[in-house]
Amino acid sequence: MARGLSLYAEGESPLHRAHPLTKGVLTLSAIALAFALPSIGWVAGLLAALLALAVVAGVLRRLLAVAVVVLLPITVLLLVVQGLVNPANRTVAIAIGPVALYEEGLAIAALSALRIACLVVATFLLSFTTRPADLAEALVQRGLSPRIGYVIQSALQIIPQTLEAAVRIQDAQRARGLETEGGLPRRARAYLPLLLPLVLSSLVATQERAMALEVRGFGRQVRRISRRVFRDSLAQRLLRWALALSVPAVVGLRLAGWR
Amino acid sequence: MTVPALVLRDVSYRYEDAETDALAGVDLSVAPGEWVGVVGPTNAGKSTLCLAAMGLAPHFFGGRLRGTVTVLGRDSLRVPVPERSADVGLLFQNPFTQLSGARERVDEEIGFGPECHGVAPAEVDERVAEAMRLVGLEEQAGRHPLDLSGGQLQRLALAGLLAMRPRLLLLDEPTSQLDPAGTEAIFDVLAALHARGTTIVLVEHRLELLCEVCPRVVAMAGGRVVADGPPARVFNDEAVVAEVGAPVYTRLAHAAGLPAPWPVRLDDAVAAFRRSRA
Repeated sequence: MARGLSLYAEGESPLHRAHPLTKGVLTLSAIALAFALPSIGWVAGLLAALLALAVVAGVLRRLLAVAVVVLLPITVLLLVVQGLVNPANRTVAIAIGPVALYEEGLAIAALSALRIACLVVATFLLSFTTRPADLAEALVQRGLSPRIGYVIQSALQIIPQTLEAAVRIQDAQRARGLETEGGLPRRARAYLPLLLPLVLSSLVATQERAMALEVRGFGRQVRRISRRVFRDSLAQRLLRWALALSVPAVVGLRLAGWR
Repeated sequence: MTVPALVLRDVSYRYEDAETDALAGVDLSVAPGEWVGVVGPTNAGKSTLCLAAMGLAPHFFGGRLRGTVTVLGRDSLRVPVPERSADVGLLFQNPFTQLSGARERVDEEIGFGPECHGVAPAEVDERVAEAMRLVGLEEQAGRHPLDLSGGQLQRLALAGLLAMRPRLLLLDEPTSQLDPAGTEAIFDVLAALHARGTTIVLVEHRLELLCEVCPRVVAMAGGRVVADGPPARVFNDEAVVAEVGAPVYTRLAHAAGLPAPWPVRLDDAVAAFRRSRA
């Protein structure tokens, strides 16, 4: 049975042990900084810092394996499109027959690719070192509504389970003679009979789960005391503030003319 | 005076947009510590009885409830379901949909309910350990709930309720999706709970199982209680049997021409057939 969308794997690194909010703030700040920093050098530095954290967390190999799959096609596309047709293109960098890639476009593509790489690496770094349930719980402990916290936690488990239910229904329909192989129109038609049973079973399951949650006291108006205690420290609190303040600081500098 | 665990007085309930009553003038009283089996054909009102006792009908489903449902001395209509769940547990057929869907370990899943009730962390740990021991899931504490078998999953759902230490446990065909081993494991847990004094109302379609464990059976048909008493009496009433069926031993003895009263349990059936041969 599908367990969930979580990519977390157990670990004992400082990053694994860090407070979930510290990692959350780190991720959001890194993404914001990637898009706020002005030049390739700065963004490359940020990416290097994130990769260094991946080394510390012991997840570099796993992270690179997924990040390359995500980033490679995007980077190639950016380099080709920007290198060919960016309006700022003036200086030819590479010419292959009548086709020329320009320095200006390639530089813009490289900056964009680095920014996207920071986004992807920061997100996977968080996913590999933080259980979604811990992050949601830490947010609830800091005042997020338990209902919203529940939605975050449950969505990560329910999505793959719904996909699995869809496969089960389609297998049953195939066993009764439904044609699901062949050309695109036939495969598209095969999805139509899937929809009704999938939607109906999802609705029934949702209703049952809603009842089961009420039966377990979810929604009771009492002060909820979480059993999970996340280790925090002055250093982590200072780091969170520093990371959070770095974003408006960089934005301010950019507005003041930092290029 | 001891307060009854569950009292229904002339209760009728109709689901929203339904044309007939799912419950029609039901009178029932369950004393603390009793283990009552509820039987009946499809649409007899068995599940609705559990929903009304829990307060989900009408709190969750809407519809119209007439008469009074009193659970552990409190009127069902006046107590919200999440609050009631501190005293009353309801186990459904499908173990999968009873998971919170928000916990990644068995022990955390069991602690979900007490946490919702604001129980102090140290006590939650204690309750979780106790519930795991009761249902035999101690070895699975660190596993992901969805890695468990169907039987283990239903025991997990039961443990999630037990961690709230309910005084009344309502079970709506809890073993209908389980194999014989899973069913036996659930019934062993229920027997242990009953021995500890928990009141149990069990809807079950496997009459042979029910007769082995329940000293009292309530037979329902068409939203009404058609019989209420010891299994041997209920399943020896031919009018009742015509509506709700009978255990296989009873039918076998009847078909073999054994004199009434016909047996409802395996041991009684063996004894009756031995007597007939002697």
